Amino acid sequence: MTKWHSSLIQYALILTTITVVFLFFQTRAVNIEQHNKRVDILLQLKQAEGKVDRDLLQVTSFLLVQYDPFVDLYHRINALAKEINLDNLTTENQLFSEKLDQYLGTINEKFELLEQLKSKAALIRNGLHYLPVIANQFHQQEPDIGDEVILLLNQQYRHHLLPSFLDVSTISKKIIEVQNKYQDKVKSVDLFENVLFHMEANLKLMSEMVNLRESYVNIPSYQRFDDLYNYYTDYHTEQSRNSERYSTLLLAMTVLLFAILGYTIQKLNMAHDLSRKSHKQLVDAVNTISEAFALFAEDGRLILYNQKYLEFYPWLKDQIDQNTTLEDITFANISEGMLIDNEKTGELADYPDNENKPLTRSNYIEQFPDGRWFMANDSVTSSGEMVCVRIDITERTRTEIELRKLYRALEQSPASVVITDIKGNIEYVNPKFVETTGYSEEEAIGNNPRMLKSGDKDETAYGELWKTITEGRVWRGQFKNRKKDGAVYWESASISPVRDGDGDITHFIAVKEDVTAHKYIEDQLRLNATVFDTASEGIIITDANNHIKTVNPAFTQITGYSLDDVFGLRPSILNSGLHDEEFYQDMWKSLHDKGYWSGEVWNRRKDNTIYPEWLSISVIRDEDGDIQEHVAIFSDITRRKQDEEQIRQQANYDALTGLPNRSLLVDRLTQAITLSRRDNSRVALLFIDLDRFKVVNDTLGHVLGDELLKLVSQRLSDCVRESDTVARFGGDEFVVVLTEVKNSTDPSDVAQKVISTIDKPFKIHNREIFIGASIGITIYPDDSKDINTMLRNADMAMYSAKSIGRNSYQFYTHVMNEQAQQRMELERDLRKAIERNEFYLCYQPIIEIESGDIVSVEALIRWDHPQKGIIKSDLFIPMAEESGLIGTLGRWILQDACRQASVWQQSGNNINVNINISSRQLALGLQSDEVVNIINQAGIEVSSVVLEITEGFLLDGTRSTMHWLNDLKKNGVNLAIDDFGTGYSSLGYLKRYPMDTLKIDRSFIHDITEDPGDASLVKAIISMAHSLGLDVVAEGVETTEQLTLLKTLKCDKAQGYLISKPVLAKDLDFQTAVNL
Amino acid sequence: MIVVHRFRHLLLLLCILFAGSEALSRDGDIEPIKPIIREHGENLEKASLGEKLFHDPGLSTDNTISCSSCHQLDMGGADIVQFSFGVRDQIGVVNTPTVYNSRFNHAQFWDGRAATLEEQAAGPVHNPIEMASNWNEVINKLSQDPSYVKQFKQLYNSAINAANITDAIVAFERTLITPDSPFDRWLNGEKDALTEEEIEGYRTFKSYGCIACHQGVNVGGNMYQQMGALSNYFADLNRPITPSDFGRFNVTGKERDKYFFKVPSLRLVTLTPPYFHDGSVKTLNDAIKIMAKYQLRRSIEDEDVERIIIFLKTLVGKHSRMNP
Repeated sequence: MTKWHSSLIQYALILTTITVVFLFFQTRAVNIEQHNKRVDILLQLKQAEGKVDRDLLQVTSFLLVQYDPFVDLYHRINALAKEINLDNLTTENQLFSEKLDQYLGTINEKFELLEQLKSKAALIRNGLHYLPVIANQFHQQEPDIGDEVILLLNQQYRHHLLPSFLDVSTISKKIIEVQNKYQDKVKSVDLFENVLFHMEANLKLMSEMVNLRESYVNIPSYQRFDDLYNYYTDYHTEQSRNSERYSTLLLAMTVLLFAILGYTIQKLNMAHDLSRKSHKQLVDAVNTISEAFALFAEDGRLILYNQKYLEFYPWLKDQIDQNTTLEDITFANISEGMLIDNEKTGELADYPDNENKPLTRSNYIEQFPDGRWFMANDSVTSSGEMVCVRIDITERTRTEIELRKLYRALEQSPASVVITDIKGNIEYVNPKFVETTGYSEEEAIGNNPRMLKSGDKDETAYGELWKTITEGRVWRGQFKNRKKDGAVYWESASISPVRDGDGDITHFIAVKEDVTAHKYIEDQLRLNATVFDTASEGIIITDANNHIKTVNPAFTQITGYSLDDVFGLRPSILNSGLHDEEFYQDMWKSLHDKGYWSGEVWNRRKDNTIYPEWLSISVIRDEDGDIQEHVAIFSDITRRKQDEEQIRQQANYDALTGLPNRSLLVDRLTQAITLSRRDNSRVALLFIDLDRFKVVNDTLGHVLGDELLKLVSQRLSDCVRESDTVARFGGDEFVVVLTEVKNSTDPSDVAQKVISTIDKPFKIHNREIFIGASIGITIYPDDSKDINTMLRNADMAMYSAKSIGRNSYQFYTHVMNEQAQQRMELERDLRKAIERNEFYLCYQPIIEIESGDIVSVEALIRWDHPQKGIIKSDLFIPMAEESGLIGTLGRWILQDACRQASVWQQSGNNINVNINISSRQLALGLQSDEVVNIINQAGIEVSSVVLEITEGFLLDGTRSTMHWLNDLKKNGVNLAIDDFGTGYSSLGYLKRYPMDTLKIDRSFIHDITEDPGDASLVKAIISMAHSLGLDVVAEGVETTEQLTLLKTLKCDKAQGYLISKPVLAKDLDFQTAVNL
Repeated sequence: MIVVHRFRHLLLLLCILFAGSEALSRDGDIEPIKPIIREHGENLEKASLGEKLFHDPGLSTDNTISCSSCHQLDMGGADIVQFSFGVRDQIGVVNTPTVYNSRFNHAQFWDGRAATLEEQAAGPVHNPIEMASNWNEVINKLSQDPSYVKQFKQLYNSAINAANITDAIVAFERTLITPDSPFDRWLNGEKDALTEEEIEGYRTFKSYGCIACHQGVNVGGNMYQQMGALSNYFADLNRPITPSDFGRFNVTGKERDKYFFKVPSLRLVTLTPPYFHDGSVKTLNDAIKIMAKYQLRRSIEDEDVERIIIFLKTLVGKHSRMNP
């Protein structure tokens, strides 16, 4: 038996060791970082929720005038929820996931209510604001009825201020009364009805808002959070303790095994000794047993008794001798007042059949006047002797009486008491329980306490409870339970295990108290306390004598004083001394008369620094109107004052580049001029415009464009001295002001420096961007003496620099002024030129290279200026585009070119006509069907017109461009892309837009025979265009070599001086053929 | 605890005081409208990629519609038609809202069905009458273009996927802010940024109660309100009610949310006619009168409407793509 037992322990030991080692490694991997992150997220969630609660309270009190804080909080909570939902703990741990979902569910509920509250609060604010206005209007119209309406309105406002004043239904009843009473008498019916409508609507919204707020407050999110958080921390503690616990277990198991071995050996030895001593011990036993013992012979004589027997019956000491009998003793005892328990009075049992066994025995109770109780047992042995044993049961009997008392206490207890067995089945309920729950004792007993469940706790919560009490600990907590009639109530309960003498749990007892009312108040108070503790404004509460009673954490944060520092003192300890006596007198007067005061106050912190605060003080009076408390709320406005200063600074600087803006530039320039007047020096103004910036912005996007401007600003600033000014004038224009200029080389040095630094490539996002700078320079006081003229002159000089080629600079000269003048004149003439019919078209042929035949002509406009002669189109077309004249001019070109094509076609020359279209024409409202109409009116086939557009046209492309082109294409018009390769070319849009022809820009053709790079580029363009189904035209073909090469490259068509210059229609020779 | 209870009454008292106050304060903190931040703070490379995607018609099933087709950046971030066109010339059911400053809204779409810009971006791509595409199709198309593949690889270290595409587009959209409007400069303490007439317009805007809903940095966009809060707007319409008129109800299914819409931002309202979710009103003048009648239930003088319009013009800020 022992061997089997030991080997069992050995096996157990081995098994345990393996398990412990396994678990040891399992649980070592507790990730601290992950844990911290989870706790952090949970606490952040809780904090954000607290902020939502606080702001909501402000909304319902109309303290929050804008709802942006909720936008941030909403997004923050969503982000946090998303983050924690990604945590693999939610998939691993079902319980955690459920609790998390429950908590997030309550937050969602809150947000739903919040949305409703926001909408309602907005309407109520407007109502509160509008009602006095409209009521006054009405009052002016009809003073008599108006009085009554205003009285009613006042009552309504009082109700909002003091909800206890009149209830909602009374006021709304009064509104209806007023309505009925004056409906027929009132003259301004609409106004009257509108006032009452707004009053009713406002009242209704207000009470809806109060209800919503109530529902909001009742959402048990804090409890859900505590559940979740406690669960998680328990879970984590459990995890982190596991490894340690199992190592300890291993040690304990080993120790236990050795203990058992030692114990077994010791027990064997003891058994041996025992058998030797048993005889002697038996003899001693009689004297040492705690019971009283006596043996009477068959004839009734006392033959043996122990010391205890005399202790039990002390009066026998003097009487006992050799001849004392049972009868003597019984007599003596009765004379001492002994009573015998009647039911057990000594009746002898019958002798059974077998005579060898002692069978006669009798049990009864003896009671003595001194309060002692003995349990008596008299047995007759088989040989006829009687054995009497007495046990002192005085203590036990007393306990029984005590128990009865306790039982009565339970029955009358004001708390519910439930006792269950260890399986949880009810064995006892007290009357209070019956009263509280409505279940009778019969219904309750045998049932499980879960019969009261209302669903507020899930199975896991009950599991926790059960675990706690079965482990022998006391569980305390609250239940939301349901009575038999379905009503819900809150109970505060403590459930504890009941143990028997061996320490084993035999029952559980639950003592419960109905705390429904208490709980409601507690929730309210907690919400209020949160507001007090989390408000960012400092709050001071003083008693009637203006001694400080309490302050909130924000007070401490702002002033540096803790509550202990200031308790019992007056708020005047904060006085800075900056305000005079009168100031404080006014404050107290306002407090006394109106009950509140607010204003800006300078106070002193604990560290003696002085700061401004916005302070509001209110007086709180009790029911009798006596002052009870003062409440002061203030916010530190130091920061705001500093911000104002900073903003003023920012207003002078450009947001993107940080450079001085236009207005600061004017200031600096004025200063510079004033200084130069004093010391007779000069000031130079450099007007810088970036070349190709627009292209970068259009093709690469404004994001990169903005980035580029920042880099340019840095480089510009590096080009000048600290004392000079670099400003952003607007867009891609910059202005540099140089002071103390000695000679004209100073500014030109700087200009050259600027040009060369801007000329270096800019590297943005691994992309190299090339731009340039054109600079105009003007000198004060040489060129002009006022700022506006300086800027205009420099601008003009810059344009001049642009026109002589980019990347250059120009000093302002008076000639420029003249040129600008001329430009303006030209623009004026342009307007008249259309009326005066000064434009005419030239045509340049396009041939098919294969056959050498003219297949098309490109229409090109010329201007015959009455004074200046022929003016080139690159000079006036941009001008026409800028001024919008291109709209009219473009239509004329279209009409005239189509008309000419018709003339040719009728005379048998079946050729196409190419016409240029500017994107400005589209912007100015040239409709696609208008184009088709013009072509139709000329009487030519739509398909014989080719519209040429530039890459820029497509780059600007919005959806309307796409529609426009698609429409034309649908109608049969051919589309060509002009000057291909000059912009930031992308083949992408060629795919998207319905093009027919691609015209390679002359710059590629020019060097095609000399530069193999150009040749291969042209070759690539041609093969790409062919793969997209596009015809290719080479522009600017001037030599036979070029044409030959183009032919081998499979270019379809060609145009250029080699074939013909642009000529008048009448001079066009259709027989022109180029001999290859 | 008694102390705290008292404090609640005080709050109520103070709020009534503030609610009545109509005075204009120089103090930007107290004004219900907040200035727009000056720095967008986005990753420029992502925003640049997003800009390309924003203009790419490849996001639609037949390569005709890009985000910018309806959200035209030079037209106030929307278009001027009542309902925009989608692929195959289909017509939408609500008016296109502006994409500018959308990062400040508490939710996207008229009915707020997308909580974030990321969620919003997927909407039009899948909508059968807008782009009628799906992520698989879009990813396939974009993956044909080596430059896209390279850029995504560089920026996200991964292949093109729906999350990356939306991330880039959202990065771009978050750069679309319009700071430095005259009104914002005034809020920031620049006294001369507004004329006396414009300040008077703002005062009118506040005194009628427009400010109760149109507040915060976006002058709207942070709450829901019923269209016809005080008078029944839909009953007076000469057209049958359509499902899109139910607004937020279509998201929550709750009867109390019927006819509720996200209060739209007024930042660029002068640039983005027509107005309301149904795009039914062509002029700002009419829109303001309708708001007064149905949301405030009060009559409004023509001069006051003009004043409010003068104020609304001062809300338009700057963005290099906007060309106002």
